[in-house]
Order: sequence, then C-alpha cells, then structure tokens
Amino acid sequence: MSEMYDVVVIGAGPAGISAGACLAEMGMQVCLLDEQQHPGGQIYRNIKKASPKTLREMGEDYERGAHLVRRFEDSKAAYHQGATVWHLVPDGSVYVSVKNSSRQIRAHYIVVATGAMERPVPFPGWSLPGCMGAGAANNLAKEAGLTPDCNVVLAGSGPLLLLEASLLVGKGVPVQAILETTSKTPSLGALLKMFPALKRYDFLMKGLKMVRDIKKSGVPHYKGISELQALGNDRLETVKACHGPNKLKFSADLLLTHFGVIPNTHIYRLLKCHLEWNREQRYWQPITDNWGRTNYENIFAAGDGAGVHGARAAEYKGELAALEIAHCLGIIPAYERDNLARPLRLKLQDDHYPRPFIDAVFAPHFSKESFADETVLCRCENIKVKDVRKAVGEGVRDVNELKIVTRCGMGPCQGRMCGPALAEIMGAELSLSPDKVGMMTIRPPLKPIPLEEVAEMELEGAAVGPADLFKNQSKKY
Amino acid sequence: MFKRDDSNHQETVTVTLDGKTQNLQSGVSVAAALLGDGHLISRISPSSHKPCAPHCLMGVCFECLMEINGVQQQACAVEIAEGMNIKRRLSGSNGDE
Repeated sequence: MSEMYDVVVIGAGPAGISAGACLAEMGMQVCLLDEQQHPGGQIYRNIKKASPKTLREMGEDYERGAHLVRRFEDSKAAYHQGATVWHLVPDGSVYVSVKNSSRQIRAHYIVVATGAMERPVPFPGWSLPGCMGAGAANNLAKEAGLTPDCNVVLAGSGPLLLLEASLLVGKGVPVQAILETTSKTPSLGALLKMFPALKRYDFLMKGLKMVRDIKKSGVPHYKGISELQALGNDRLETVKACHGPNKLKFSADLLLTHFGVIPNTHIYRLLKCHLEWNREQRYWQPITDNWGRTNYENIFAAGDGAGVHGARAAEYKGELAALEIAHCLGIIPAYERDNLARPLRLKLQDDHYPRPFIDAVFAPHFSKESFADETVLCRCENIKVKDVRKAVGEGVRDVNELKIVTRCGMGPCQGRMCGPALAEIMGAELSLSPDKVGMMTIRPPLKPIPLEEVAEMELEGAAVGPADLFKNQSKKY
Repeated sequence: MFKRDDSNHQETVTVTLDGKTQNLQSGVSVAAALLGDGHLISRISPSSHKPCAPHCLMGVCFECLMEINGVQQQACAVEIAEGMNIKRRLSGSNGDE
C-alpha cells in the first residue's frame, strides 16, 4: 500500500512551508517533500541553523524565514528532507527518492512550490571554474558561512545582483568591479511605473541604501556594459567587458553573475500543465486561477515557480492555495475561505506595488548580438551557439527538433541551463518571439536516479509496473 | 577561494575524497564542504573534457555531479556525512589544487 495524504506539498521554500503549515493547522494530512536538508528554500536557506552573525548580515528579510519555519514545525505536517521528486502524474501520484530509496506517495491534492532559479545567460567562458551564480555565493554564505576571500567581479542585472554586491562589499571582500548590463537610465515606461512603487517607500529606501553602500565603498560600478567575457586556462583569470567605447579588463578569481530570476518550470512541463509566456520578463509560467489552481483541478502552483514575485508573495500564495484546498476537501465553507483570504490578498497587493517598476527597470532584453557564435550554450553536451544557428539555417524550427539534431539539452540538467537561451537564440534567428519555437518536452525522471531504485518500488494506481512510469501518458489526461 | 567566516561551524567529518582521507566541514552539502576546503573542481566534463566547478548550488546546473557512495549525485543536494566515499574522477587533468 502506498502512503496516502490529503495534500502533498513539493518544495519547502516560503510558499511550500506556509501552504503546508496552513493545511496541517486546519487538520489535513499533509506531507511536504523537499530536496534540501533543511526547510527554507533558497531565500531562507539554512535559517534554522543560521548563526547570529549570518542573521545579522542577511538582515530582517532573512530572519522572517525563522518564524515561518517555526510555524511549519509546530504544525502537524509530515516532512521529508533530502527528498527528490522525480515523477508525478496528474492522478495524484508522486514518485520520490529519499535516502537512495524510491517510493510512491498519493494525494488528493498537490501543491507544487518548487520555486525559481537564476536565469542562465550564456556568455564566453561562463563554464570556466570560477564563474558562479551570485545566488550560489549567497547560498554558500547562508549554508556554510563561506565568504569569497579572492578577487571578485559581479556582473549581470537585477536587484539581487546589487544585493549580493552590497553584502560582499559590506564584508570587505575585494570586489574589483560591478558590471551591470542594465542601461544607465530607465525607460520612460519604467519611470511611469514608479508612482505605485512610491506606496512602498520602505522598500524603495532599502534599495537606495543598497546602492549607496556600494557607492560609498568606491568599487568601480559600470552600467550598460556589453560583451561580457570570462577568460582563463583551466579556471577564471580575467573578466572583460565593453562599456561604450571603453574596453574593461579585470583580474579575478571569482565572477558572480546574475541575470534575474525565472520560474523553474520542469515539473509543470512534466505534468503538461498549461503555461503562458510572460512577455516582459521573457519566461514561461503556469496558468493559474487566483488560488493558484492549474488546469488540473487537484494541482496547485504556488510561489515563485508560478511567476516571480518574491518571498513574501510566495508565502501568501502558498496560504491562498491551502485555503482553496481546505474548502474543496470540505474543511471550511466558501465564506470562511474568502474571509481568510481577504487579508492575504491585501498583503499580496501591498507587496506588489514596487514590483512592476523593478521588473520594468531590470526587464531582460536579448537580440542576435546577445550571444556569440563560439559561446558554449549547452554545458552538459558542449553545444555552441553556432551549432544551433547552423541547425536553424538547415531548417530546424522547434526546440525539440533541435535537441534531437544537436543534443542541446540532452545532458543531465535536461535543458535547465540552456533551454531559456536556446529559445532566445532560435527566436532571434527566425525573427520570432521565443515562445514560438516551443518548449523542451520533459519526461520522467525529473532528476537522474538509479534504475534499481525504480525496480524495487511497489506501485499502485495507473502504473502497474515500473516501466509504465516512463511511457508517454499524455493521452490519458 | 572562500573563507569560513563563522566560528560556529568548527565540527568536521572524515570522508574519503578521491581515495584520500580528508576532514571537511560537517552539517553542510558535499559541494559547500569541498568549496570551503579549497576544492573548486567538481568533475571533468564528459563532453568537453574540461574541468567543471559548481555553478548554481541550488540543484539546477548539474555541474557538481560526482560519485557519492557509489551513486552519481548532485553534490549540492547531498549533506556530507562521516565516512562518505566521494569520487570526482579528476585523473588526467591538472585542474585541482
């Protein structure tokens, strides 16, 4: 007999833990599955064990996670850490690997709260050891108290790049330069969106303080840079970029890049959830109603994985999904659901005021010129941008076709690192919007697992034997 | 490359790294423990044959794939434990240390 729950929540970031806590508090049988070893997701990573020093450095926005985690732990929700969900089916079956053993868990409702990832933007040398995501450095600080003690360059775009820069500068890390791809002056459209943002004066002040701290440090800060390059033999030695007519060059051991955040949609694509293209932010997101329900009655998307709005919004979205599920399971009537949802929606709205302005200022722009021919696009299979262009020149029009022809996206990361840029490159070649070249099809397993784990599983429901899990089941749903 | 700026993280575990006994920070992922001890290179890419290092540290990039206790796993998603056998298979490269 497989385990059966009212609700399985996937992901222990702010959306997952607030959904899990809320559901368990109302008396439902909840199981939260998380890939990490400790609850908190990326934003509140390791919050439970964080030292006073880390708490001080990361500030009150990080500390908020401690309250959230405590609430979750006080609830009666079951929790499995180190749990890799590698398959799920819309009938409510979840296949998960915990401690090198896989099993099937079934639930009436599933909340997918698997969050977002840093937008991977390939540039020459980005696969050199020494090039890392800015989020990676942030995670190392939270998880292991690690701080770079070498020459660092930060490059890219977005508020999190500046946040990481201000953190490193504050710790006295020798930051050689901050290279922003964002242009110096925001567009008129972006400026017009500043008025609603003024309602959240506190939020804007935080941003201004960050920028002031960077300025005070005297670290060279360039805006509107292009042609970012990482150079070195077996590891990073030099970072180059263009700033108008000037060529910039820095010696560096560590290049931290960040180009914004995008929803991690692999799990939704595996489920064949309907996705929509966010034109401004140039990413895919699942289509949901205002409770987070996807096109499947029993599957909800919550948090940044359903559209990037930040940690606070994720928390509220998780709770809204929980309320609707509680209603559907007959725990609370509609009027109570709506009463409980009202303050959450107000908080969500309040949190959202600065978002359109920030999003517009840092909106990504890509063109043919954004990607150089020789740049490695698919790190797993070592496929270059020019290989994609050649295939498109030969008539390839869809990312899945391109995957078959070139092997781009066929490695262990399953297109997580190359997929978004691949669509941009193909779109630019064909003068199409990136959403018109399709999305890579995602099949189980979502993450590589040993076959013997699958063979040893006891199965129930739609799948009668382990091999059935890997058959194309799309026609059934 | 990285320094540990926290006196709370002094406890260590003993693991076998590429056949050699090594003391690494406990209570963190294998990837973080290795980076904290100066091991930047995580594997040799089977396609480009060049050294790789962890890139995202949040389970996305798969650059930190290494053999942990006999199974290829993402080092950033596995917590380090006493007696672990970690193999990066770097032989043939001069990438690390």
